[in-house]
Amino acid sequence: MKGHVDFLLLATLREGPLHGYGVVDRLRGASDGAFDLAEGTVYPALYRLEAAGLLSSKWTTGGGRRRRVYQLTRRGRTELARERKEWKAFSHAVEAVVT
Amino acid sequence: MIEEYLAELSRELGEVGIRGQLRRRVLAESEDHLRSDADALERFGSPAELANQFAAELGARSSRRAAVSAFAALGAAGIVYALSFVGAAFAGQPAPDTWPLLAQLMLPIVIVAPQVAFVTGALGLVRTLRRREHVLPSAELAVINRRTSVALVSGFVTMAALAILALELRDVSASWWVAVTIAGASVAPPLLVLAGIPVVRASRLRPQVAGDAGDLFDDIGLGRTDPWRFACLVAGGVGLAVFLAAAVQGDPFDGALNGVAEALACLGGFAVLGRYLGLRH
Repeated sequence: MKGHVDFLLLATLREGPLHGYGVVDRLRGASDGAFDLAEGTVYPALYRLEAAGLLSSKWTTGGGRRRRVYQLTRRGRTELARERKEWKAFSHAVEAVVT
Repeated sequence: MIEEYLAELSRELGEVGIRGQLRRRVLAESEDHLRSDADALERFGSPAELANQFAAELGARSSRRAAVSAFAALGAAGIVYALSFVGAAFAGQPAPDTWPLLAQLMLPIVIVAPQVAFVTGALGLVRTLRRREHVLPSAELAVINRRTSVALVSGFVTMAALAILALELRDVSASWWVAVTIAGASVAPPLLVLAGIPVVRASRLRPQVAGDAGDLFDDIGLGRTDPWRFACLVAGGVGLAVFLAAAVQGDPFDGALNGVAEALACLGGFAVLGRYLGLRH
């Protein structure tokens, strides 16, 4: 999973903006618990994706607290589409070999 | 429990050099996360490991950006230097042995310092472009930051020496050359200082990431040999180039002397700075 964290985070945010806990929770739910990160580690990755221009973030309020919410940028959507295409080709090739 | 965790995380972030707005942001987001779920604290990870991960990623990113912006600032200083160097041939200056003493003292500085600036800046940039991973060994980050720092300081010294040289030669040089040199040598240093700020910030980060710093052969990618043999080869090549350039202009004796001086300066630089700049182990 380590090599695909960025891809998974971008994919998790494709449905709409989320804060860090929301990203972890959606990722865990969407994968039926298969992807269960050490939750704090999602934040360095989110900061990295934001620095790369693939995400943007802003402060909001949630649960009576300051909350940072992340969303895909246009560039992030383009990158996600590219990585999904690469992943489909890769998994198709692996499937062809192992079956 | 959450307050204790956040206090520990704050301490660990400070230990790795993350302060100010970024530290406040990390703590605010961590608190929001931990209060979103009663069990989140168990799954969040150790404060020391999390702080180190932040510092490791931020360190690599910061060092790379600092090296690139430093090279751009050095490029501007390089243009100033080139204009002054080329212009000097048309400025009607007398032979250096008739210059005022201070000007004669500045001459070796304006010859050696820009070479140090160019070589170390280029090596910092090469390492930055070659290593694009999210996280780099701490030793390698130190090498990148040192190369960038030495390049900027050498660039600043070059500009200072150039300005002093122009002032000392103002009575025996064309006024346009003096004006262009001093103007250029006044504009470049603030750019170098500005480029130094990101380097200082990057150097303050202290992630603990294992791994080797690499050496010059990792940078140039042309195989590996004894580093001193390679340094002698390069020094000999530089000395020969200086000699040939002077010989073509009809001054082989001076060319030989300058060539030997250049070669010795190269070897001296390698001896003094080689390990510090990650050129050799």
